[in-house]
Order: sequence, then structure tokens, then C-alpha cells
Amino acid sequence: MSNEPIISLSHVTKRIGRTTIIDDLTFDVPQGEIFGFLGPNGAGKTTTIRMIVGLMSITKGEILIKGKNIKTEFEQAIRHVGAIVESPEMYKYLSGYQNLVHYARMVPGVTKERIDEVVSLVKLENRIHDKVKKYSLGMRQRLGVAQALLHQPSLLILDEPTNGLDPAGIRELRDYLRHLTRTEGISVVVSSHLLSEMELMCDRVAILQRGKLVEVMPIQEFTRKNDQTQTYLIQAQPPEQALLTIRQMDGVQDVKLIQDGLVEVNTERERIPDILAGLMKNHIRIYGVQVVSQSLEERFLEITGGRQIG
Amino acid sequence: MVNLVLNENMKIYRRVRTWILVGLMAAFVLFVNFIEWHSDGKKAEGVGWRAALQQENQQYSEILKQPDLGEDDRTFYQERIAINDYHLEQNIRSTDGTMWDGVNGSAGMMIVITIFTIIIAGDSLAGEFSSGTIKLLLIRPASRVKILVSKYISFLLFGMLLLLTLFIISIVVNGILYGFGYMDLPLISMTAEGEIVESNMVLNLWKTYMLNGVSTVMYVTMAFTISSAFRSSAMAIGFSIGALFAGNIVLEALQRFDWSKYLLFANTDLTQYLNGHPFQEGMTLSFSIGVLTVYFLVFNLISWLLFTRRDVAA
Repeated sequence: MSNEPIISLSHVTKRIGRTTIIDDLTFDVPQGEIFGFLGPNGAGKTTTIRMIVGLMSITKGEILIKGKNIKTEFEQAIRHVGAIVESPEMYKYLSGYQNLVHYARMVPGVTKERIDEVVSLVKLENRIHDKVKKYSLGMRQRLGVAQALLHQPSLLILDEPTNGLDPAGIRELRDYLRHLTRTEGISVVVSSHLLSEMELMCDRVAILQRGKLVEVMPIQEFTRKNDQTQTYLIQAQPPEQALLTIRQMDGVQDVKLIQDGLVEVNTERERIPDILAGLMKNHIRIYGVQVVSQSLEERFLEITGGRQIG
Repeated sequence: MVNLVLNENMKIYRRVRTWILVGLMAAFVLFVNFIEWHSDGKKAEGVGWRAALQQENQQYSEILKQPDLGEDDRTFYQERIAINDYHLEQNIRSTDGTMWDGVNGSAGMMIVITIFTIIIAGDSLAGEFSSGTIKLLLIRPASRVKILVSKYISFLLFGMLLLLTLFIISIVVNGILYGFGYMDLPLISMTAEGEIVESNMVLNLWKTYMLNGVSTVMYVTMAFTISSAFRSSAMAIGFSIGALFAGNIVLEALQRFDWSKYLLFANTDLTQYLNGHPFQEGMTLSFSIGVLTVYFLVFNLISWLLFTRRDVAA
């Protein structure tokens, strides 16, 4: 296995008129990695994906897939890519099987056996000869996955793949993607605005905002606290006195009173026993201490500065 | 490339609407031929063809006696008389009252082929955009030019299928109505040098088909270009069929301007050179072919530029 990245973007920029939609994106995805694109609606996730698959032109910079430039060596580059761009729209008047035959004809070396293989992989054997217009949304998604995998791509690109899937379908897709990356070394680029989904699926995430890359990091790092302090809620009586007492202590920040006699404080874990001892010394009654775990959404908003559509 | 054409063909012939169009084509040919036979053809059978031709010659001779007859008309009637005489002398019957009367008349129904092929061509590309399938089509190792060419080939083939339908059905139905007796009747015509020649009726029929086919190809190419430029089936189909019908009206209004001979509509009908009455003085067959070639290249250049360069956004 080579260490060459499966896909590499360098200084990719997209301008439409005077508006810069994508601004100087640079990142690599190595073999076998599931790479997530996170960002609010309108951040440029779909535009980036469309540039990767050659549906949109690149104003500046270049995209290499297995070392082939998508702009100048389109046919060699796209051969390694399987994709679902938004919802997979199929020819509704054809059967599922005819749709797969259609795509199989466009890539050399896809055999009839391979078609049967992907059909059973996505568990559509019983309905594959029905017309696509009779399929449910979930079945259409599965047919979409089948067409993306048909030619055994090295890179799978999924734009909002879980749209319209039920929880079981999402889980199935997730397990399947894991399986593909582990056993076949496929790399996956997936975009979504659903954070919880990305947390379960991805190895690394890129956060995109207003066309700019804000951060690229492993998912563990993204969900973990970025520093040592955490927010605690202390329930004490009388709360006003507790507030004054804690404020006088060392190593505490953002001490404030919130409703129902709760005091919020940001501090290191090691300071908690001292704070409690101090409160008790001043005869303040403590009813409870609680760690406020920061949600993914808050973390995301923190990184993107809370602004939604830029 | 062959695979891409197979794909396009699958997308055309696996749709019910395609077969409705083919069925309509067949029904039109049957209907029109039957009506023709019912109102005209039966009468011609009654009178002997010799008597009919002699009567025709008499009429023409009367007309030729008129002193103010134009030069063009004079030669026309003289030619007709010479051809009729040849029929009578060689004892070769005229097409009146034979299957060929109906078959040759059916060639005029090629306008239906043009319309139906415009429908398929206008929707071919725009339909992929409106259904969203264009995205999955373009992310395969086939360049956009190849996709474009394969689509173009596929609906030219569809036009050929309609033409074959027209040919076979008009032969069969007229054969049944009038009898197949005069299958090998030759066509008598006069060359430019004034010589009377016999030629094969089927060959001549296909010559007419091909000349009319030029106009079909031009309008279909136009529909495809609009389909590629605006990505809208309705616009491509509507505008092209509109142009097909409005073309002649526009031409009449513009005939007094010299530049109107460069219009597409003035050149699509190449049969104007067969009967010797071109749209404007000084137009020749090679002039029209030149003009049509330029239009053809421009249309395809626009399709190519707009399809290969633009982003697929929606």
C-alpha cells in the first residue's frame, strides 16, 4: 500500500461572478479513512463535492484523485470514484437492474456477476427487476449505494447520504462504510450537517464555514474538550452567598448565578473539592454538583462562531 | 461509445411514450392513405390510365395555346406532355391508381417524423437535468462530448426508425388497398438535358426521403441545441416545432429582402431545386448546402460549448 493520498485538494477555489463560494481549500484523505465534511447549510459542502466529481469547474487550485487531475485527466480520475450527489436520482421508468446495467456499460470491466454482487450487497434481490418508480425512498438510496460501488471505486463520495433514511437504514449504511474501509481500503468523503451522525461515522472531520476551512481534526479531538477546565453547576442555599464565596476563590472563571439557586462555574476538576470545602466553611448548604458536558452542537457553534449561514 | 449509444437507446425505447409516438406515426400513415384511397384512388381505377393521360395531354395543349403563358410554365407543361407521351408509347402505366400513388404521397408525412424526433431530441438532455439523473451520468469515465454525441446518434436512429415505419407501412397499406400488381413500375422522368429516363421507383422514393431528411436533421439539431443551452424540454420542443411551422410565414414576409436567403428556413427544403423554383433567384443547391452546413456547425458548436463548459448546479 502506498502512502499516496487517495484524494488531495490544494488551494481549491471556486468563484461565481464576484462571489467566492469556496476559498482556498487544502486537505488530503489517505487510504481507508472516512473523512467528514461538516458545516452549516450554505457553507460550501455540496459545491466542494461537485468540484471533486467534476460537475463544477474549479476556478483555482487542483484536485487529484489517485494522482490524476480531475480537470485535465477526467476519465482516468473519475474511474476511481463512486458517488451519490444529494439524493440519488435514477431513471424511474427503468428497472433497478436496468439502471445498474446503464452505469455498468459506462465503465470498462464491470461484469454481470459484479452487478449481481452489488445487488445482493444492498439486499435488493427481490425487487431489482421492478421499475424504480415503485421503489420506496430507502430502496432508492440503496440502489444509489449500489451504483456508487458498482465499479469498485477507491474513493466513495457521499453527499448527505442519510437524507431520507430511517434509523435502521442509517445504521446499516454506517456499518457498511466501516466494513468497506477496513476490508477493502476504500476512502470515503462524506458530508452532512448532522453532527451526531458524523461522530459515529468519521475518522476525521473538516469544518467548513462560508467556503473556508475552519479546522481539520480527528473526531475524538473534536468531541473532547479543548482545554482542562469544565463547566460545573453547584446547587447551594443561599445561592447569593455561594456566588460571592466562589468568586473570591482562585482558579475560577465565569461564575454566575442561574435560576433555581444554581451557580455556574468554570474551573479545573482539581479545584472542585476546595470550592466545596470553602462553601461548607461558610455554612452554605450544598445539594448537588453537576458536570455540564458540552454538546456537539455547542462545540460546533463555538468553532464556527455561532454564525449559521454566512 | 457503442455502449453509450446502447444506453441512450435503452432510455428511449424503454419508455412507453416512445412507443406511443411510433404507434401514432403508424396510425397517421394508415389513416391518411386510407382517406386518400377512399376519396381519390378508387376513381382512378375506374377510368383507364390511357384515357386519363390522353385527357391530361389535351388539357395541357389547350393551356400551351395561351399567348401570355410564362416561360417556366411553358416548359413545365411541355415536359409533362413529353412524359405522358412516353408512357403511352412504351405502354408503361402511370402511377395513378397503383400503390405507388399512395406510397409517394406518404413521403409528405415526413413532417410528422420531424416533430416526433424533435420531441425525443428536445427532452433527451433537458430531461436528464430536470430529473436530476444528469449528475450520475456525468460522474462516469465518459467525457461530456461523448455523452453529447451518443445522444445525438440515438435520436438520429430514432428518426430512422420512424422513417422505416413510414416506408414499410405505406408500402403494405397501399399494396393492400390498390394491389401489389405494379410493384416494379418504373418512374418516368426528364433529366435536365431533356432526356426521358426510366428509374427505379423505390430508389427515387428514398431519394425524396433523404432530401426531406435534411430538414428533419436541421430542426432536430436545433431542438438539441436549445435543450443543451436552456436545459428545458418544453422550450426546446416548443421553439423548434414553432420554428418548423412559422418558418414559411416568416419567409413570405421577408422574401423581398435579399438577405433572407441566408435564413435557415429558406434552405431546409432542398426539393425546391428538384422542381426548379428556388425561394430566391440565384439560389443554387450548393448555396443551400453551404448555408445548411454553416447552421449545422454553429448549432453543434453551441451545444458542445454550453454542455461541456457549464457547471451542473441544480
